[in-house]
Amino acid sequence: MKFLPYSFNISIQSLIRDKWINLLSMVTIAAGLFIISLAFFLAYNIDMATEKLPEKFTMLLYLEDNLQKEYTDNIINSVKKNKAVLSVKYISKEDALKELKSALKNSNYIFEGLEENPLPDALELKLRKDLVGPETAKKISEEVLKIKGVSEVDYGETFLSTIQYIRIGIKTIGIIMAIILSAGIIFVCYSTVKMLYYRRQEEFETFKLLGATRGFIRAPFIFEGAIIGLGGGLLSLFGMYVFYYMVILKFSVTIPFFKMILFPSDLFLVLPFLGMLLGIAGAALALGRLKY
Amino acid sequence: MIHFHNVTKEYENQTALRNITFSVGKGEMVFITGHSGSGKTTLLKLIYLAEKIDKGSISVSGWELEKLAESGIPFLRRNIGIVFQDFKLLANRNVFENVALALRIRGMGEKEIKGKVFEALKTVYLRHKTDSYPKALSGGEQQKVVIARAIVADPTVLLADEPTGNLDPDTASGIIRTFKEINACGTTVLIATHNRELFRNTGRRVIKLDAGNLIGEELG
Repeated sequence: MKFLPYSFNISIQSLIRDKWINLLSMVTIAAGLFIISLAFFLAYNIDMATEKLPEKFTMLLYLEDNLQKEYTDNIINSVKKNKAVLSVKYISKEDALKELKSALKNSNYIFEGLEENPLPDALELKLRKDLVGPETAKKISEEVLKIKGVSEVDYGETFLSTIQYIRIGIKTIGIIMAIILSAGIIFVCYSTVKMLYYRRQEEFETFKLLGATRGFIRAPFIFEGAIIGLGGGLLSLFGMYVFYYMVILKFSVTIPFFKMILFPSDLFLVLPFLGMLLGIAGAALALGRLKY
Repeated sequence: MIHFHNVTKEYENQTALRNITFSVGKGEMVFITGHSGSGKTTLLKLIYLAEKIDKGSISVSGWELEKLAESGIPFLRRNIGIVFQDFKLLANRNVFENVALALRIRGMGEKEIKGKVFEALKTVYLRHKTDSYPKALSGGEQQKVVIARAIVADPTVLLADEPTGNLDPDTASGIIRTFKEINACGTTVLIATHNRELFRNTGRRVIKLDAGNLIGEELG
């Protein structure tokens, strides 16, 4: 391993000597990483936007008419026993009507001629943030419906499922894109290193005859792959930063929604590291098994 | 130091060496001679495993070559200095870097490399050409750089394949003088040449090859 500083020097010399090929590879890698980052950027912002939804999520349990207070308390206690339930709030039919009237204060004619309060008493359930999801909500709904005195449950099933589908969909597409583009990046590094290797093959034959180990011959290429990948990662990071400041923030002046879009700080570390890793993988694959 | 026992090497139905058996002792300087195609280069290549042995056995400084794993080949070669017929100098590196390469491969430090390279270049009287590139050197000077690269890591065995091939008689005798000096320091030297003038009156052992057969030995 004492030869590593020398190998690093050799790789720098080679990068300078074949600067155009290496630059082209870096730009290609940067383009691939930029697309991966965009998918990550989108997933990150959707995640952030939907993160607070569970806090606002409630389930409404409508109770049968004319239940005695004692009976209602029993229902509340039964519901509270479920570990997913964070809190239970009782809403009387009078309070519910008052709330409805205040919400529809401009359309009060709806309530004209209403002799009886048509709304039922209800319980408002808040679930634990980490357990909010279509499956948990459905399970709780099925359980509480079994309790005598509960007539109906409403929890916005379609809304919850849609959010879930969007999140899973974007993550899946992101992962698939990341895999395909990562393979592409590895291939770019593979081709570059293979080409550089063939150009210097005669030199390496001499190296071998003088007693060079596989490590000695490979090390400069691994460094080259790492540097090309790192360069690609930094270029794509720069691209993402420009994209965010020049496009997103510019639009946010006219479209306030864009102000909510955030730049994931993880990208500062992930992009250069991922680029370097893919560069090393491509170089290692290109060199394969050296024969003596 | 070097032992060949019934060694045979074949290339696609053509026998390059047939049942070769001989030994070279430690500190000896031996010539291998024969016409072109007699098997001299193949014999040397078997010693540093640029070619694999088909039959028989070879031992070099205690290494059993037919049993040596591929991963061990670099370490065998580090014990052997090789003067290649086609020089194998790197055109994009100057004289110093070409010679230093043999030491860098061994992971030696910069300070030690500098000292050893200058010493090797002094041995071949080329200290003043340190910064020159191979293209700027004459054939004889290039040959000397190759010798310097071969001896810089103090190998136990030095192999030279037609080391005076394209050189004029004066330069050739200068090269042989250098080999004698290296041999005098205890290095075993094996020189393959078709030029009989090189070993005439040297008093050294000469192994004669003809069409892949060892046909005899004599004193030069």
